[in-house]
Amino acid sequence: MINLDSFALKNISRGEPAWLSAERNEAFAIFERLPMPSSKEELWRYVNIDFDIGDYLLPVEPGCVEVSPLEGAATLDVVDGLAIGSGTRNPDFTLIPLALDRTEDRNDSTRYSSPGSGHDKFSAAHRAFGTDGASIRVPEGRVVREPLVVRVQSTLPGSISFPRVMIDIGPSAQASVVIRLSSPDLLETVVVPEIDVMLGPAANLDLTVNQVWGDTTTSLGRTRIEADRDANITFAEVGLGGALSRLYLAVDLLGVGSSAKIVGAYFGDEKQVLDYRYFMRHARENTTSEMFLKGAVDDEALSIFTGMIRIEEEAQRTNAFQTNRNLLLSDQASAQSVPNLEILANDVKCGHGSTVGPLDAEQRYYLMSRGLDRDRADQLQLKGFFEDALSRFPVSTELDSVRERVHAKYERTQSADRV
Amino acid sequence: MNAALQLDRFTVSLGDLEILKGVDLTVPFGELHVLMGPNGSGKSTLCHALMGKNGYTSSGSVLVGGTDLAGLGVDQRARAGLFQAFQYPVEIPGVPLDALITEMRSNDEDAFDERVEQMSGRLGMDNFLSRSVNVGLSGGEKKRSEMFQLAVSAPRMAVLDEIDSGLDVDAVREVAELVESLRKPDLGILIITHYSRILRYMRPDRVHVLVDGRIVRSGGSEVAEQLDSDGYEQWRRDNVGRPSALPDDLSGEF
Repeated sequence: MINLDSFALKNISRGEPAWLSAERNEAFAIFERLPMPSSKEELWRYVNIDFDIGDYLLPVEPGCVEVSPLEGAATLDVVDGLAIGSGTRNPDFTLIPLALDRTEDRNDSTRYSSPGSGHDKFSAAHRAFGTDGASIRVPEGRVVREPLVVRVQSTLPGSISFPRVMIDIGPSAQASVVIRLSSPDLLETVVVPEIDVMLGPAANLDLTVNQVWGDTTTSLGRTRIEADRDANITFAEVGLGGALSRLYLAVDLLGVGSSAKIVGAYFGDEKQVLDYRYFMRHARENTTSEMFLKGAVDDEALSIFTGMIRIEEEAQRTNAFQTNRNLLLSDQASAQSVPNLEILANDVKCGHGSTVGPLDAEQRYYLMSRGLDRDRADQLQLKGFFEDALSRFPVSTELDSVRERVHAKYERTQSADRV
Repeated sequence: MNAALQLDRFTVSLGDLEILKGVDLTVPFGELHVLMGPNGSGKSTLCHALMGKNGYTSSGSVLVGGTDLAGLGVDQRARAGLFQAFQYPVEIPGVPLDALITEMRSNDEDAFDERVEQMSGRLGMDNFLSRSVNVGLSGGEKKRSEMFQLAVSAPRMAVLDEIDSGLDVDAVREVAELVESLRKPDLGILIITHYSRILRYMRPDRVHVLVDGRIVRSGGSEVAEQLDSDGYEQWRRDNVGRPSALPDDLSGEF
């Protein structure tokens, strides 16, 4: 593993196309200039980053992982920021290592650029030092029914890795993608995953991110989605793991008639921090968005959701709704829920709802009047609380395991309380 | 023999406010009783206090099938054989009725499963089992769901709070007939209602009138008929000035 410095930059850039080296150098300059984020900045409010990025090292080869069976239509493993194997290519789709895709596709530099990604130190580091990940392309008119699965893992203690997943769904093409983020417990590591999604005209994508990081992993993620005319995206994230897991999501509805359905379910316990900064921008008319996130925090956990809906002047006849509901399961836990609307058009339907509170006493009373003891009543209510979000997730093989993890997490905190 | 429900000098307060001022009431097994009263007479308080809801403090004694409920929590009261059908059953999003039914299953698993099978067919619940508890149901459907849960729990004492409220005439008749059909020798039923219209479709063994926290009259269905013609005002007037230490001569078994 190597330090994040100019020497590493030179090594990485060797043999890469000139545009890429130029971009790395530019990002490196930003990386060196920017301080570590502070909770005084609006975008990092409530979050305390208590480490220095320079204390972590960049892996040059992936650590050892157990070979898991393939899933879905195709599977690619990205371990410590580096893809394993050469992926899958067929007429309907390609799922290949990003580094490989970049070498083969030297001229298409705009595809890999991500404007604004240098907005903080971690994102700048990603631009400067990220080398690999997964590239998914579904050509025009193709329909891939089984999910394409990317398994992102972090396995090296003291490492910082920069996995990137690029998803390009061609005009009228349709696909579903599952990205699983995982690492072992007790492994101190930092991951800066970035996901870029481009949807062509009338493209359809179901994208599920299943975040099950280990308990000492810090993840500072960024996802960018751009939707062309009449494109539809469903983005679903379940956040269960990590010491600190942050997701900065920017959705741009750039094409007339495009739509986004954003769903989420998160559950923090112990001292976890789950941090969501969601930005939904309606650039054109007849666009639709719906955000629906439900979360619970137990022990001393903290969750943050800030949701910004921006409707540009041109985006008339737009519908945009945002719901964020939070359950506080202990006195020490806290949840911040901050909805924001910025509406520049005048013919729009827009709304938001945000709640933070304990389990519902009337529901508990009703369930207990049916003979359930308090723990079982609360557990059933909690299941229902999350089911309300999970039932909106795209149908995928992951969903049952997500349910199990959510329930197991609650049972664990319940039994811990009794000790 | 023990009664399904036996209240002796049952007094209930909510905060500093005394709402039930010593209620004596016995519902023997196999009988269906009706408790009528105007708004604010303490009908719903009686239901919640029986069930042991937080916030209500009570004194006096409550026995269900001979079991003293004093000090028992809500779930323990349910397991002791007390069932409450709610006036406004709360919606529980994301929890399908069949998940709740599964959680309600107690030790007598086979008998329970049989009741679920039989009652869901009889009450036409098949379409509701996969839907979230009470979410998006009409008033009548909610009552039917409550009756279904009553029937599968096989309690010893069932208290039905305003089971006829918010229903049209046909739905009231349907609920009343349902209640009649649930009558069994090992079950006591107490219907709590404001209006006498539901009594047109059932044959109660006794009717009690609750006014200002006291039972002021008990009798046969003629009590309800009298209420129909004269209203509650007569009882209020009769009750004015009565020393609060001596309410018992007007309550319980007439």
